[in-house]
This record gives sequence, structure tokens and C-alpha cells, in this order.
Amino acid sequence: MSIDASRIGAAIGRAAGAVQTLEQELNQADAKLGDGDTGSMLARVVGAMAQSGAADATDVSDAFGKLARAGMSATGSSLGTLISGAFLSLSKQTKGRATVDWSDLSRLLAIVLDGMIARGGASLGDKTVLDSVHALVLALADVSDGAQAATAARVSANDALHRYRDLPCRMGRAKFFGDKSVGLDDPGMLACAKLVDAVAGAETEFANITT
Amino acid sequence: MKKLINDPAHYVDEALDGLTLAFPSLVRDGAAGRVIRRTHPASRGKVGIATGGGFGHLPLFAGYVGCGLVDTCSVGNVFEGPNVDSCIEAIRLADGGRGVLRLYGNYGGDRMNFDMAGEMLEDEGIACTTVLGTDDIASGGPDQPARRRGVAGLIYAYKAAGAAARSGSDLDEVTRIAAKAVAATRTIGVGLAACRLPSAAKPSFDLGDDEIEMGIGIHGEPGIWRDKLRPADMIADEMVERLLADLPPAAGGEVSVLMNGLGATPMEELLILYRRVRAQLQGAGLTIVAPLVGNYVTSMEMQGASLSIFHLDAELKALLAAPADCPFWRVG
Repeated sequence: MSIDASRIGAAIGRAAGAVQTLEQELNQADAKLGDGDTGSMLARVVGAMAQSGAADATDVSDAFGKLARAGMSATGSSLGTLISGAFLSLSKQTKGRATVDWSDLSRLLAIVLDGMIARGGASLGDKTVLDSVHALVLALADVSDGAQAATAARVSANDALHRYRDLPCRMGRAKFFGDKSVGLDDPGMLACAKLVDAVAGAETEFANITT
Repeated sequence: MKKLINDPAHYVDEALDGLTLAFPSLVRDGAAGRVIRRTHPASRGKVGIATGGGFGHLPLFAGYVGCGLVDTCSVGNVFEGPNVDSCIEAIRLADGGRGVLRLYGNYGGDRMNFDMAGEMLEDEGIACTTVLGTDDIASGGPDQPARRRGVAGLIYAYKAAGAAARSGSDLDEVTRIAAKAVAATRTIGVGLAACRLPSAAKPSFDLGDDEIEMGIGIHGEPGIWRDKLRPADMIADEMVERLLADLPPAAGGEVSVLMNGLGATPMEELLILYRRVRAQLQGAGLTIVAPLVGNYVTSMEMQGASLSIFHLDAELKALLAAPADCPFWRVG
């Protein structure tokens, strides 16, 4: 079973449900390194994406495009803009395709990552959401179905969060904290791990039930 | 921290409604009403200047839309960059046929959205240039301008570039002037108490009741040191000393000074600081031209102040003195 528009719509719906409970946790993580609004910003952005009608899109490209446009209207924050840009890249890459195979995800995300690096100006290793996406690119390289992809994604996003926790932030507002950021999670990486967990957790269960 | 607000979700839009009702020279535009432009735009043939940024810093950014300053401003949510749609609209509405300078502070979200807006407008044939405000010396060394944030000193770049555009200069020249003004401006802030985002339960950072932070950013970004409160003169002395240790290459003998309040610091305290700043600068052999004291760039109810020094040559001095008119700054 591959990825189609209704599956993308269901996934963003799960993310929107999860972000409500994550909002204050992410705000608190951000308060240590920024101004404490990452959770509220993401709740607004993911909520808008969930209302964008992605499930009813004509194909995957259209579904990703709806998510991108909803996100872009909801915020101009750096993290939110990077996420919207990622969906725009996915939309462009999947033009005309009704479905995407699980085995394509890594290659698609690699191009998304290149775009995020070019747009945001951060490098790999700066302790940002880019390092989470990079971990996903590597982990998803050899998957062939949804259950494998879900497990690989959850493990790798969580693993990236842990690996970077004790390194200093080198990008965005958090870079001004220098070594004081050691031991603190980057709010974008934390959000990525938690949202992947929410989206992929159900995906694993779904795969288990149907196979 | 109490606030006179309604639903936090309506904070920006209600404040923008109030802004345009109180100051009829400004009007909301764009599909979501997130562009502030001049009610009576400049006649065609003038280089346009579009700015933008997160909300919560009034009079910056939207309050400097006016004659001899900036033409349009895209408005984000509180402390979030403006979205790409509002940036596209701000650039389009600023265009008078001779191109548009995008002039705004050096923050990630603002940069990404103005860059994307420029790419999306390429097909429309609007020539665009970019100059970023990078005046905050606490956020990077003199050799790291890309790391430096844009803070209160951005209004000097508005003033100089706005005057150049009004005089009929072309896009390259207006861009050169904006970059020159940014390069001639240095700012440092001091924070006494945090602000709270309307949607947040707690203040945006913790600062002890008896503590201050030197070098703090306008979103509470960490500064150079945090220590016990000390007398105003000692703070003023350190701010001047740090700014004069970071002189632009072409600094001469004349400066303008902006003694800016961050929102909740009273005019009296700004004036106490200013009198000492003036004495110190005169002691260093500098002459002060057209000083500004007041709330020009704020962070809602943040307590504290920033000091900006704008190093002048004959060209910048003339541009600073040229007529300009917006709700919060009038010259001539």
C-alpha cells in the first residue's frame, strides 16, 4: 500500500490532534532558547494544514500543495516557513503522481532537505530540524512498506534528538546561548520527533492491523 | 503581567485596526489586511521601499510608513516573521515602476519570506534589492555582520534610504544609501524585565527582580552579561563605551543618537540616561546631531532601553535632515 492523498490527510489530522497536547511542552522547550512560542505557532500551522482539505486533493502533489499553502498563510516564522517550504518541495517533486511509494520517501526528503538548507541558511550539525530531516533521509533509505517506514522514522527522529541534546545550538536565536544550549533540546528537533511519533505511531498500528 | 487585550488571536489585527483609525495616513491592505501602506501613495517614478517584520515592536515596523520613509510594511504575528503573501503584497504595493528596496531586520523568518516573495515576483518584472538591518553589536563581532540582528538602528536606514528615494534616486543609489546607513549604525540594549507574548502563559524569559541584562535583543535574546541592577550613569557609560569600541571604518566627528525605550521604561529614565550619554559622547569629542529620545522600537511591555549611534558624514547628515513624516517621526 502506497501513500495517497487520503493517507496524507489522515496523517496531518493525527499531527493536528497531537500538537494540541504538545503545545505547552514545545512552548516551554522554546522558552529556554527562544521566546516560548514554538508550540503555539505549530498548533496554529498544523491546525491550518488539517483544515486545508488535503485528504480530498486530486493527487499527492495537490495534497502537499494544500498543506504548503495553508502553512504559508498561517505564519512567517522561520520553523513554520521551513516546514511549509518542505511541503511545497514535495508538491513540486510529485507533480502528476496519484501515489508515492514508501521506498521513494528518502529520495524525496533528500531534495526537501537541500531546499531547507538553501532557504534557511543552516548547515547540518547546527542542531536544527534539518538534522532531524537528515536522520529521516538516512533511515528511510531502505524501507519498502509503511510499517518499516514508521518504525525507521520514529527511531531515527528520536535518536537524532538524543544525539544532539548535548551539543550546542549554532543557528537561529538559540545560537546566542552558545554552550548554555548544551543539554537542551532544540524545539524544532523536539517537535519533529514528537510529531513523527504521533503520525507514525498510528501508521504502525494501521499496518499491523491490515497485514 | 497584565494586558489590556481581548482574544490573543486577534491581538495583531485589532491593534492594526486601531493604528489605521488613529493615524489616517496609514491604511491596511492585502488579502488578509497584513500590509500597512501609505493612504496616499507616492507618485509613480519613485523607488519603493518595502519593510516588514514580526508584530509587537511598534512604532517599528509599520509605524514608519510615511513620506520620506518606507512605503509599505508586511506585518507578521507577534515575534514571527511576516508570511510570504504579505511580503509579496508589500513589494507590489511599494512598486512605483522603478524597483523596490526590501529593507528589514536580519531575522531568519523575515529573510526566508522576503526572499521567497522576491522569487515569486520575478515574473512580474519588479526589480528588487535587499538590505538587512544588522546594528545590534551584542549579537556578533564586528567581523560577523551576518550574525548581527537588526534592532532600533533600523529606523536610521529607513530615514536615509527614504530621503534618497524621495529625492528621485534610482534603485541602486537608494540601496547603496540604505547599506551605508546600516553600516554606520551601532546599537546595544539593556533589559530590566521581560515581556509576555499574548498567547503565552509566562514571560518570554526569566530575569530576577534585581537583575538586568546587558546586550539583550528585542525578543529577549541573551546578551553579554546578566548582573545586579546598577545606577543609570554606570549603564549609560558601559553602553557608550561598548558602542565606541565598535566604530565603523569611516566614523567622523558627528553622530545622531537614539535613546530608545523598549516599552515599559518611562521617558524620565530615558532622559536620565540620555543626559549621561550626551556627556560621554561629547567627552569623546563627538557632536550630537538631531537626537531622538522615546519609544521608537519596543518589545511590548519589556522594560529597558537601547542606545543607537548613527555615525554621520555629510551625505548621511543631509539625508537625516531631509523632510519626513510618519505618525511617529516627523522631520522638517
